[in-house]
Amino acid sequence: MELGRWLIAVVFALFSISPVAFGQPAKASEKSPASAALIPDTTIAINSPTPLSARVVAYTIDAKYDPSTHGLDASEVLTYHNLTGQPLDRFPFHLYLNAFQPKATWIREAKAMGTRDVAYDEWKEEDFASEEIRSFEVVGIGDLTSKLEFIQADDGNKDDKTVVEVVLPKAIAPNDFVQFKIKFHDKFPETQARTGWKRDFVLGGQWFPKVGVWWHGAWNCHQFHATTEFFADFGVYDVTLTLPQNEVVGASGVRVKEVKNPDGTQTLTYHGDDIHDFAWTASPRYRVAEDTFQGSMGPVQLRIMMQPAHWDQEARHAKILKQTLDHFERWYGPYPYKTLTLVDPEPDSAAGGMEYPTFITGGTSWWVPAGLAYPEIVVEHEFGHQYWYGMVATNEFEEAWLDEGINSYTEVKILDDVLGRKTSVLNLFGMTAGEREIQRLQYTFVPDFDPLSRFAYKFANFNSYGGVTYGKTASVLLTLEKLVGEDTMRNALHTYFMRYRFTHPTGEDFLKTLEEVSGRDLGWYFKQAVYGTQILDYESLRFVSTPADWYKKDLKEKKGETVYQSTVTIHRKGDFLFPVDVEVKFDNGEKVREQWDGQDRWVKFHYVKKAKVDSVEVDPDHLIHLDRDNFNNSRTGKPKPAPARKLANYWTFLSQCFAQLLAWWLV
Amino acid sequence: MNDDDKNLISAGFGIVNRHKRYIFWFCVLNLALAWLRSIAFRQMASSTLDRSLLADRLLHGFDVPALLELMGRPEAGPMLEPTKVAAHFAFVFFFATLLFLPGVMEAYTNEGRLSRDEFFRVCGRNLWRFIRVFILFAILGGAVAGALFSAEHALVKLAGKSTNELLPFSTDVAILILIFLIMTLLRVWFDLSQVDVVFRDQPAVRKSLRAGFRYTRRHLFSLLASYVVIAIVAALILLVGVWIWHEAVPPQGVAAAFVVGQSMLILWLWTRFWQRGVAAAFYLREMAIVSPPSALSPPFVPPAPVPEPPEIAGEGGNQV
Repeated sequence: MELGRWLIAVVFALFSISPVAFGQPAKASEKSPASAALIPDTTIAINSPTPLSARVVAYTIDAKYDPSTHGLDASEVLTYHNLTGQPLDRFPFHLYLNAFQPKATWIREAKAMGTRDVAYDEWKEEDFASEEIRSFEVVGIGDLTSKLEFIQADDGNKDDKTVVEVVLPKAIAPNDFVQFKIKFHDKFPETQARTGWKRDFVLGGQWFPKVGVWWHGAWNCHQFHATTEFFADFGVYDVTLTLPQNEVVGASGVRVKEVKNPDGTQTLTYHGDDIHDFAWTASPRYRVAEDTFQGSMGPVQLRIMMQPAHWDQEARHAKILKQTLDHFERWYGPYPYKTLTLVDPEPDSAAGGMEYPTFITGGTSWWVPAGLAYPEIVVEHEFGHQYWYGMVATNEFEEAWLDEGINSYTEVKILDDVLGRKTSVLNLFGMTAGEREIQRLQYTFVPDFDPLSRFAYKFANFNSYGGVTYGKTASVLLTLEKLVGEDTMRNALHTYFMRYRFTHPTGEDFLKTLEEVSGRDLGWYFKQAVYGTQILDYESLRFVSTPADWYKKDLKEKKGETVYQSTVTIHRKGDFLFPVDVEVKFDNGEKVREQWDGQDRWVKFHYVKKAKVDSVEVDPDHLIHLDRDNFNNSRTGKPKPAPARKLANYWTFLSQCFAQLLAWWLV
Repeated sequence: MNDDDKNLISAGFGIVNRHKRYIFWFCVLNLALAWLRSIAFRQMASSTLDRSLLADRLLHGFDVPALLELMGRPEAGPMLEPTKVAAHFAFVFFFATLLFLPGVMEAYTNEGRLSRDEFFRVCGRNLWRFIRVFILFAILGGAVAGALFSAEHALVKLAGKSTNELLPFSTDVAILILIFLIMTLLRVWFDLSQVDVVFRDQPAVRKSLRAGFRYTRRHLFSLLASYVVIAIVAALILLVGVWIWHEAVPPQGVAAAFVVGQSMLILWLWTRFWQRGVAAAFYLREMAIVSPPSALSPPFVPPAPVPEPPEIAGEGGNQV
């Protein structure tokens, strides 16, 4: 920090020595001068006559972006409403962009565990980003720039500057307001973790100093980690962006003002109500389509910003976006915002597949065929976050499964309905793939490293974080449908959404809602599925059918006449206990359903019938998505070599091709 | 394409057609090796699929998650091992091609049918020569391919800075076509050199390489055009084959898929031999030698010195 500012701060501190300066709360009659500043109860950006959230914050940001330097200068006025019920004298702020520095925790973890896009084999100048606070003033108190201190509560990495804290000389009383005036400068990186620039494109994500969340009696303001996302309070955003006139701009909230400046720049003002973050994007090359969705609370303006080479996929994006909106409205609850901006980001940037309030990024390429539903999956998933993160604003640092996982579950449900259960990912050249199986596979490759409930930055590795947070949660909830029914699950999610929208619920809140709506005690299941790492794996171990008169020397077996004694053995291979159905099929076509509580290691079923057992299948309705190995669920009496032959034929053909290709060029 | 080129292509086709049994045997060899290299994979697949109802997802259709689950099973182990085995057998096929190709080339440059003994004798005599030609090709081809692919990488990276999303792809395709043409040209050169090695029974392969280079340089466009046309035919065969496989073969039609697949491979191999036929036809045309010094021909015996003709007196006497 600059020396001059430091001196001013010292002088200010000397003048401000008083009882409250040492953290004692101000008396009710001694409200801070910022009390006059209230958080507005505007409803410009929502289809509601009244605010929808307990607005804790109001951000007014005036920013100027320079595309030539990828830098941004801004002033921010943050009004904070102390609804914590206790005096506050410490305020932590996220400075997320500082994560992209070589010694920062984010990069350190990314190098150790990997990320989904940047490998960091070498450090490039373009990878560097920063978020520098140039002045920090508290209205009624003065300039506290010199009082700012970086803190590293998660890992003690002194080189990590993603959280800064200020201690006020006097505490803010309960229900009082405090206003921070912050001047800051951003340097965006070449896109990393859904923020930054690529060529002439920029995505402004996590770009301004953001106050932490007072949650469960303490500040919750984690450092930025390679596997974490975000957590913030609801409020009102008024953001003014100044950038060149050739830029096509999209942002959270609604655009309320647009001015062309004589210096060739434009100044655009956006307003957001009841949101907890604000993102924006600009590129001179976006092509924009406008559409409208008639929501249950009012019309929603859809703004779809496509790359020029993807313009022919605009209809595809619009269609899935509207289908998703429609499903969420019908199944889970209303979408209350007036806008939704869908951004098709710069190709091969690390900006695709991201959610911000009323603003999402998709992901596609110019060549993607209709049979590959990647764009649909991304759009559906990111829109889903408007509910699971956007409105039901869970803590993404600590309980990532509540946003990514529940969202993956609803993604499966909606894509099943829209694109087909077995074809929702791929339906091309005879090959098919469904989203529910893809989610399950994500999990089955890393089934036992981490429980769902683990803090996002404490997972064993990036694969485990992804597989468990997304895939396992989806599989846990799909499996739960077997216990409580599909309709009950839908009702439970609807209840959960309506009850906790615009709040910060916990995993416990979610699980209690499931139990309440289903009317069942599901603790035994959650203990294993949510808090445990047990593996679920049941197998049809063996079956035998022996003629009852096997000892007779003149026995002649006749189909339909000979009586057989059959024994079927089902084995629990894993340590996850779960009730299973078993279907035993006999060679006369008869089917018998059995229920097993799955508590013991194995169970045997005995039959005496004029038929032999033909096949046995655990979970014949395919409802247990947590089962790690589906191949061993069933067993047939007679081997059927055709599938293995088919695959072997493919394998043979491919290896012949390889051999011929080698010989073609080299001999 | 001029008439000469067309004649060359049809002459090459004629040669291959006359000796199609070699293609058959190469296919049989490749199939046998492929069958061997797929044993481990087949056993792994059988142990999991033969008694599982889930296998139906792979038989009636092609459920990619089911395949991924199969590959991901701890019992299956990593796919690296079967892939390694497949690669080893592919190299066996490659060496087999190297071994037997001289015999094929000998047949292509001879009018008559080669006996089995003659075929293997030529193969044995030329094996080391062909290995040397291959080593030289590997060095030269590796260097050229390395340089070209490095250039491709750099240019595509450069194109990636453009705001035109299609530019990197277009650049890549254009450069890959260029690489294909240059590598095909190299192949023409070395194919002609191989013909020369066999045809002249040339122990000094550098001389054959020089001859091959000379012919290639002089008839660059004609030879390249012929090779490229045949390569396009090969690509079409592959595309049509895949289309037939997809459209006409039911998912559970293992036998039909096998037939279509093997037909594709035979036709594909045919096109490569067709290129070699073109090289042989071209060589024969260019040499214009009535009695080539082939290893299988009788040793070259210089004509006996013509005796001085006796003085024939009188009119009408013929001078020899």
